[in-house]
Amino acid sequence: MAHNLVFFYGFAALAVVSTLLVIAQPNPIYSVLLLILSFVALAGLYVMLDAPFVAVTQIIVYAGAIMVLFLFVVMLLNVSHEHAVADNQAASDGGGPTVRWFGAILAGVMAVELVWALNRSRSVGAALAGAERETAWSVEEIGRILFTRYGFAFEATSVLILVAMVGSIALAGRHLSGKKAWRR
Amino acid sequence: MAALNHYLILSGVLFTMGVAGVLLRRNVITMLLSIEVMLNAVNLSFIAFGHFLGSADGQIIVFFVVTVAAAEAAVGLALVIALFRHLETLNPDAFRQLRG
Amino acid sequence: MSVSPTLIAQLAILGFVFFMLLNSAAIMVYVERKVAAKIQQRMGPTLVGPYGMLQPLADIIKLMMKEDLRPKAADAILFTLAPIIAATTAFTAFAVVPFGAATTFWGLLPEPISLQIADINVAVLFVFAITSMGVYGIVLAGWSSNSKYSLLGALRSSAQMISYELSYGLALASVLLLAGSLSLRDIVNAQSGAWLGVIPRWFIFLQPVSFFIFMTAGIAETNRAPFDFPEAEQELVAGYHTEYSSMSFAMFFMAEYINMVTVSAVATDLFLGGWHGPFLPESFGWIWFLLKVSAILFFYVWMRWTLPRYRYDQLMQFGWKALLPLSVVNLLVTAAGVLYFGA
Repeated sequence: MAHNLVFFYGFAALAVVSTLLVIAQPNPIYSVLLLILSFVALAGLYVMLDAPFVAVTQIIVYAGAIMVLFLFVVMLLNVSHEHAVADNQAASDGGGPTVRWFGAILAGVMAVELVWALNRSRSVGAALAGAERETAWSVEEIGRILFTRYGFAFEATSVLILVAMVGSIALAGRHLSGKKAWRR
Repeated sequence: MAALNHYLILSGVLFTMGVAGVLLRRNVITMLLSIEVMLNAVNLSFIAFGHFLGSADGQIIVFFVVTVAAAEAAVGLALVIALFRHLETLNPDAFRQLRG
Repeated sequence: MSVSPTLIAQLAILGFVFFMLLNSAAIMVYVERKVAAKIQQRMGPTLVGPYGMLQPLADIIKLMMKEDLRPKAADAILFTLAPIIAATTAFTAFAVVPFGAATTFWGLLPEPISLQIADINVAVLFVFAITSMGVYGIVLAGWSSNSKYSLLGALRSSAQMISYELSYGLALASVLLLAGSLSLRDIVNAQSGAWLGVIPRWFIFLQPVSFFIFMTAGIAETNRAPFDFPEAEQELVAGYHTEYSSMSFAMFFMAEYINMVTVSAVATDLFLGGWHGPFLPESFGWIWFLLKVSAILFFYVWMRWTLPRYRYDQLMQFGWKALLPLSVVNLLVTAAGVLYFGA
């Protein structure tokens, strides 16, 4: 299946390039949009991995809801001109630029090691060969597992969402009780 | 046919970018975005393992991760807005007075 | 790779859908103007062509001739990208909407193919996902124009679309419970036949509340009157597309009408039995589909010229405090019904 590899490399390249730009370019609004592009590429990979339901959920929840929230905040704070990074040199004693760069380089080294190790060991894929299913998981099957075996975790996440909702309204909406407009 | 290795390598590379983003960028919003990148890299390996093991558990864990990510983004952005109101900046270095 | 007749037929369907969607925007402009004129006891366009039917063509030529302006302070990349996103998402959503029964085109093809571009098993969610992406076109247009009116229009629009998406999704969910499938084709096929030989087995009769919620949320999603806040002329000049001119304006305009067509087509598939109807053989089902979509579109136009615009806070109050609880209750009742009576 040669074209399968072509699709994989296409989506992978799209994801890597857009993610790189998310962290590399200064304007947050472009970062948000490029991250959406990266999510779409990942959704494509999920479809290739026989998980179309997750792919669609990824688009609805991540691209359709979470990223809109980010975009809203970026637009409302209007920090697109990046005056925020001007005081970059206000190095706290917690970690100056040197320490941060060291950490980032370590992360890069870890990634290189991982790539090297995975490239060397053919066994990761080979040991599992034949375990894959022929067809994609249907929504019904996933739903059954989600509401039986993972029922408790599912209920727990609903509590988490409620807590997050109350928390974010309490945090961001505190000043709004008196007056309706944004005051900056 | 792309093998499990391919997906794991991609996931590792994306995760590293997320880590580098959190460490290097001095803008809270971009740092939150980098956290989303890391969560997505993890999601990718969950789905890849789930597919190659013939199990639906990978997909289900991804649903939970997405839920947690939504909660995290909502609270995180609320914090960003509250901090921005007080300090008029998004640079985390300016938030030093938060230490108790 | 050999070129099979099935592949050619599928490409033909793709081209046909694309062409018809483009056309539908033009037709809707004409219908909108004529119906508005009738409601307001005017004549509407009469000069260009018979009964003014070539008016949309004249409009398009006029728009193409105009200069494409861009404000100096606008963000160039996003300003160009926004109408493209709006138009692309509008077209993409229709890709999974079936509009007729499987056919061999009178024996031309070896095996029957379905009249739709792609039959995927998560079609309903796909439409939902693409619709939710449509908000980016509007938000980016508003933000990149660097104009107060545009930004206000965009903020209103995205808040409105996000708020009504919840009710929209829950209304879909109760239909999914009845049909037991996420594929639009399966949902339509679940509605074939009739009760007692007269009443068509359409989901609108089982789910009237759901249909009401779906249409209300659909009007809000497509930013149509009486929920047309993003472009409320009296308050915001023209909302998010204030700064757009020429063809980039036309793209927003087209996207709005195509979104209307898509919502109507999805509503037809979900609630009105798609291409199933009495009197006509299955192979001419697309005529029923066309009639039903036209009826919903006419309803859209009729609404616009009959109802005044709501106030913005009324819209939000209605969405969160009336429509959302109603759809949750409706979903619970449906779930209980499905559990009790069986699907």
